[in-house]
Amino acid sequence: MSRTTRTARSHSGRAVAALWAVAASLGAALIVGLMAVPVLALFLRTTPQAVLAHLRSPQVLAALRLSLVTAGSSTLLVVLLGSPVAYLLAFRRFRGRGLVRTLVELPMVLPPTVAGLALLLALGRAGLLGGGLSALGIQLPFTTAAVVVAQVFMSAPFFVTGAAAGFASVDRSHLEVAATLGARAPFTFFHVVLPLRAPALFAGATMAAARALAEFGATITFAGNLPGRTQTMPLAVYMAMESDLEGAVVLAVLLVLMSVALLAVLRSLRPGWSGSADA
Amino acid sequence: MALVASLTLAGTGVARTLVVHAASSLSGAFQEFARRFEAAHPGVKVVCNFAGTQQLVRQIEGGAPGDVFASADDRWMTYLERKGQLAGPGVPIARNRLVVITPPGDPGHIRSLADLAVPGRKLVLAARAVPAGGYAREMLLRLGRTSGYSPGYTEAVLRNVVSEEDNVRQVVSKVVLGEADAGVVYRSDVGGPRPPLVRRIEIPDSVNVIATDLMAVLKGSRSPVLTREFLRFVNSEPGRGVLRRHGFETDRATDVAND
Repeated sequence: MSRTTRTARSHSGRAVAALWAVAASLGAALIVGLMAVPVLALFLRTTPQAVLAHLRSPQVLAALRLSLVTAGSSTLLVVLLGSPVAYLLAFRRFRGRGLVRTLVELPMVLPPTVAGLALLLALGRAGLLGGGLSALGIQLPFTTAAVVVAQVFMSAPFFVTGAAAGFASVDRSHLEVAATLGARAPFTFFHVVLPLRAPALFAGATMAAARALAEFGATITFAGNLPGRTQTMPLAVYMAMESDLEGAVVLAVLLVLMSVALLAVLRSLRPGWSGSADA
Repeated sequence: MALVASLTLAGTGVARTLVVHAASSLSGAFQEFARRFEAAHPGVKVVCNFAGTQQLVRQIEGGAPGDVFASADDRWMTYLERKGQLAGPGVPIARNRLVVITPPGDPGHIRSLADLAVPGRKLVLAARAVPAGGYAREMLLRLGRTSGYSPGYTEAVLRNVVSEEDNVRQVVSKVVLGEADAGVVYRSDVGGPRPPLVRRIEIPDSVNVIATDLMAVLKGSRSPVLTREFLRFVNSEPGRGVLRRHGFETDRATDVAND
């Protein structure tokens, strides 16, 4: 190759590379800016003093307490009820596995208000199972329990898919060793798989917790909106926005801080950016 | 006049859009207004945004573009006026009254207004900031002060509130779905050409609240002339007829032009 061609090629190569770098930087700046500026705007709209002052208001405290209690309960339920499903999906082949998989993943892609309406039509007093539930003395809509049901419905997929992926990615050699040593499936699960995959489970649970905390559409439709009983923080922000902007901003700031805290927990459990739970 | 207007529009070749922000209680009536206005003005599109009045106010204050604002009460119209968001004063276009509704099977055994205070009943109201919610609470206060109702009536009823909705149509839907035992909504919500399947319990005029719906041109309107045309149409006798057909109360139109 002549010297001119080589220089020309390397010049144009550098130019193209530079163009790509500029384009990529612009794109990155736009996306990061889109994330950062609204959050910044929220924080700039209030002061620490205002936040502390509002923390004393009964409505804010009620929403905060309700959010923590319901999201905590939902996450616990999701882990307890979701782990068996994740285990089945990871280790067992069975008829209808695909259907179970789809059903479990469905709430992730369902619009929350659609989910809320579906829950009402299924579990409401006048719903499909309403009569049966009423006979057992259970009426879900407008109760705190309904908030938990809505949160479990919307957040379970995040745990189950993460946990199933975590279980399935266990090094088979560990399972084989356990088997050759005479271990039965339950023992292997609790003493080999779980310890190895605990970080993945915690990560899944954290994602579910974050989703439960952020739940709005299904909650307001299925559980309703009443301060102290069903008005979680996202609902409180929505309602406050229309009559008490300062209060809404305070609640919003608190939600952002709680979400950031959850993300920090998540980060510590999943070092590396890879989607698989390789911790 | 309409011919000249439409010829002018056709001449410019520009399709114009009017954006109407109207309270959710006005949705049926304003959907009909939109259809009729579009039919009378070829090339014009009327787009309606329905929500609780308080939410519309927040959107308009936040910069949402629009030409018309129709509120379900005086309070929010005055608020926008004070904030300099209106191009002209709010004009009353209709009146409304409240009514209590229950699902067809009456699961809550609510036969009278007094039954609303029975402990354990599930009452759904609009939130306080929503016009319908403010009116409902005012009405309950008046009812509680009437002879024949025990002193703790209003408090007892308010204790039965299980949900505070974002707009009055959400209250209707919770009752239609059979989840609420009762809700307080506008008469217009259960009147109109296709009323929802609910039972009504009338509220005596002596304690009922008279809600006023008002309409105004927004300051940011890009088609003020066309918008005023729309307002005139709503306030005309045929326009008032539309409102009456949808369950609102109106006076007969006067000959005074109201700009």
